[in-house]
Order: sequence, then structure tokens, then C-alpha cells
Amino acid sequence: MFFAAFDLPTAPASSGISWPDLALSFFAIVLEGAPFLLLGAIISGLIDVFLPAGLVKDMLPRSKTQGVFAAMGAGVIFPLCECGAMPIVQRLIRKGVPPAVASTYMLAAPALNPLAMFGTWLAFRNQDPWLMVVLRFGFSVAVLIFLGLWLTGLRPENMLRAETLLGSRQKPELSPNPGLVLAARPGMSLGGLQQFTGAVIRDFTGVLLFLVIGAAAAALFSTGFNRSLLAPIGQSVFFGPLAGILLAQLLCLCSTTDAFIIAAFAPFSVPAKIAFLVAGPLIDLKLYWLYRSTFQPKFVHGLWLRALAATFILTLFYSLKP
Amino acid sequence: MTSRFIRQLSFFAPAAVMSAWGTVMLHTFAAGRIQELLNPMFRSYVFIAGVILLVLSAIYLFLYEPAANPAPALAPTGRLRQLLRWTVLLLPVVAASVLAPSTLSATTMSNRSAMNSTTGVAAMPTMGNATAADVKQALAADPNQPVPVEVTDLITLARSPDQMKTFVGRKVRTVGFIITAPNAAPKVLRWMMWCCAADAQPVSVELKGPLTGTYKDSEWYEIVGTAEFPSTLGQVSPRIDIDSVKPTTEPDEPYLSP
Repeated sequence: MFFAAFDLPTAPASSGISWPDLALSFFAIVLEGAPFLLLGAIISGLIDVFLPAGLVKDMLPRSKTQGVFAAMGAGVIFPLCECGAMPIVQRLIRKGVPPAVASTYMLAAPALNPLAMFGTWLAFRNQDPWLMVVLRFGFSVAVLIFLGLWLTGLRPENMLRAETLLGSRQKPELSPNPGLVLAARPGMSLGGLQQFTGAVIRDFTGVLLFLVIGAAAAALFSTGFNRSLLAPIGQSVFFGPLAGILLAQLLCLCSTTDAFIIAAFAPFSVPAKIAFLVAGPLIDLKLYWLYRSTFQPKFVHGLWLRALAATFILTLFYSLKP
Repeated sequence: MTSRFIRQLSFFAPAAVMSAWGTVMLHTFAAGRIQELLNPMFRSYVFIAGVILLVLSAIYLFLYEPAANPAPALAPTGRLRQLLRWTVLLLPVVAASVLAPSTLSATTMSNRSAMNSTTGVAAMPTMGNATAADVKQALAADPNQPVPVEVTDLITLARSPDQMKTFVGRKVRTVGFIITAPNAAPKVLRWMMWCCAADAQPVSVELKGPLTGTYKDSEWYEIVGTAEFPSTLGQVSPRIDIDSVKPTTEPDEPYLSP
């Protein structure tokens, strides 16, 4: 039963890599992501100038667990693109929002995005769309609850990079960005404008490096990996969800459009497709590098493992249902 | 002298990187290359971001001056590490903008399973209103002229029995790449993009009839023929019975969008 439809794939893992195609894909990914990253940096700059330190923290429930649920709700009401979320989350942490809550929001914003749910309905309109929407949203909520509760048990110094942590520990409005020392010209004391542009430049250039690295990884696999290799195991009860998760990690698609890609992937079962849709917005090759801009590598690895394990377990149980 | 040079370089590096990104974005937009890279709904954002980055780099040069950096050169915050960082931010995007081709190749087609599926996408249940209106107009204007359609239009029609009836036996004209493979029917192929070229999926319609010669997978062809919708085991697949095939120029929108 577990190995139903599992044949050793006869297709090679790759038909080869076209380096010009890799350049095209890389260029397309960074051109698509950079404007949203810049938008996130601008919002982060506005938060830095106009949001008083501690205000958001005062509005949150005192309990960290309740804060996690509040963050998930905020993810539905204030959805963000994955690229734009990083500078905003960094800034919120520096303004006193508990890292567990801010991190949960960072994960929830793309995963519970109403546009992503609408896109799922549209993509699957010939294939039981409401089931796919309910499964995607429900499984995403379940995984986020698991991750959020895990985050509440972590200490900030074990989660955050030193420069993110240092800023929040000292004064929330300080924002050391490695090596980018901004010294104002004498006589150029423009207060708010200087603070705003400094924050935007630091946040944009700080995260941009990780977008470039992530885009390179995503382009490599989106052009060089033979997707039909996963077809033979897509219907497998056990390997189908794994295949969906693996494909999501390699393709690095936006949560608002990933449903259209997987809807047309006929070899995949429903659990495999749901695993793809749940895992992708949480973490993939591109997001791994974006998260590294804010969090320590060990934390990101732990997040990656837990997010994928939770997704796999849920979709496996669904796959095994009578 | 050297340390002063490095200090100046470190100061101008952020402005150079932001200006380079802004210039690449604006050039890509102005030269029309953006159509080969992004879905139409994202293109204006690139233009806006390009302008903002150029403004930011000007503000940076106006407001700030070179600063002392006491960290050792190879420390994470040291000058040499930072210069390496700026180089990584600068070179790949400039190189990609120069080296990226206008369309994806047969290698990527193969990796994205172009030869294994006739359709490749989940089609709309009915043709969109705008497309249907254009088609009605074309059908009414001159019944003898081929109706211009896209590959995705034929796939959609195959799932819409009512609309399909008006096209059975009609002459159609479409544009795309021609792909051939041993023991497989030739196909006319287009790339369909949702966000950007990185997520583009190949969509194809089978071709029937005499197809001699060699066809490059990166060259555009105009195909005129008769639309057919044969059914196999209840599954309707569109097909074009070829009348003529001739090379043509790249269309204004090289990628199709949903």
C-alpha cells in the first residue's frame, strides 16, 4: 500500500542545466522580489520613525500563546509577500514585539494570505476547489500553531542574529547593520528624514544579499531539476506528500500563484498537492536564505525541519484516511 | 593612502549598488525586456522601485559622508567583507541582465515536462469575455480568414463544449515554438507565466499534417490550420491540422498570462 505506484524513476534527475536559462530565471526572480523587498524596507522605515517603541507590544495579549494566535490572525488581516516581510519583522522585533510573535506573523502572513486561498480556489475549480482551500487553510493553521508554540519556548538569543537581537535589547530604534556605517554630514541634521532613509537603506541592502543568494538557488532548481522524476511517486500514500514537499522546496514559488502550478501536475495525489501548498509558503530554498538575514542558522534549520515534519505528518494522516 | 581609498570605496559602494539596481530595473522596463521576465501586473512595480532606488542613492550621497570603521578588515563588519558583500550584490544582477536570453530553451522545456503533457495547465472552464468578444468579432468579420487564437484558447475550448462547437473545422492562426521528438506528435508550444519567467510552464497543442524541415526551439513560427477536437476515452484534446507554417517575429507578449 505504501509503495503503490512506486517505480524506480526512469527519467534522469535532470535533462541538463541551461546556464542562460538559469540567468533568465535568476534575473526574473530578483526583479520580482526586489520591489516588494523595497516596499517592506519602506514600511520598516515608517515603523522606525512613527511607531513608538513598545506600542505594539502593549496591544498584544500578555500571554505568549495568545500572542501567537493574535499573530496568526494578523497574518490573515495584514498579509505580506515573503520578500517584503523580512524588513518589517526585523523592525517589529526592534520595536519590542516578542520574537516568537513576530516570527509567527512572518510565517502566517504568506501561508494564510486570503489571496493565496482565492488563488487555490481558482486553480482547482475543476478539481474540488473548496476541499483544497479548506485543506490548505486548515493544515496551514495546524502547522502554524505547532510552530508558534515551539517558538514561545525559545529564548530570543537562540533565535535572532546578533545585530537583530542587539538592537532590540538596547534601544529599539537603533539598528546596527553589519558594516554599513551611516555618518551624517555636518550640518545635515534632518531628523526624521535621515532616520527614515537610513532605516530603509540598511534594511533593503541588508536583506537583499539573502534574496540574491536565495534567487540563485531557486533558479538552479527551477531550470535544472526534471520534475517528471517525481511523477512516479506522486500517487504513493507515503512518498506522495514527501514529493510534494520536495517540489515546494525546489520551485520556491509565491504563495499567491503556487496553486496554479501544482493544480496542473496530474501525477500528484491530493495529499501530495496539499503538502506542496502548505510547506511552500512556510519555507523553501529562497526563504531559507531570507530567514538567515534575521535569524541564526541553527534556528532556521530547526524551523525548516519542524515545518516540513509537521506538514508531512498531517498530509500522511490525510493520505491514510479510509 | 590605501586605507583612504578603501574608505572612499566603502562609502560609495552602497550608492553604486542601489544605482546599479535602479538603472538595471529602469533599463529593463524601458527596453521592453520586462515582458520576457515578469507578469504584466508586476511590471510597473519594477519601474517604481527603480526610480526609488536612484532617489535613495542620491539622498544617501547628500546626507551621509565616509565614516570610520574600526573593525578589522576581515571581520563581519570589516571593510573587506563589506566590499565583498557589495560585489555580490552588484555583479550577479548586472551579469544576469546582460546574459539572460529572451526565452527559455528546450533543456528547461524538457525539465518542466513539456513532452509529457498535451496541456500542461489547468484551463479556464470557458473562454474569457474579452477573448470571446474578440473571437466573435473575428468570426463575424470574414468567415474565410483564420481566427487568431492562442494555444491556451484552444485548450480552454476543449473543455467548453458549447464554445468548442463554433471552432470545429474553422481555420485558426496561432504563434509559438514548434517542438518535435522521436515517436511523438509535433506540437506548437508557448510558455505560460504566473509571476515571472522562473515559474513559466510550457503549454502545447498537438499538430497534425506535413511538417518537414528543421525547427529551432527558440524560433517563433506562425501556424495556420484547421482546429480539431478529437476525443480519446472521453478526454478531448485540441489539435491543429496544419495548412502552413512560416517563421515569424516574437509577439509583443512572448509569455502568456492567466
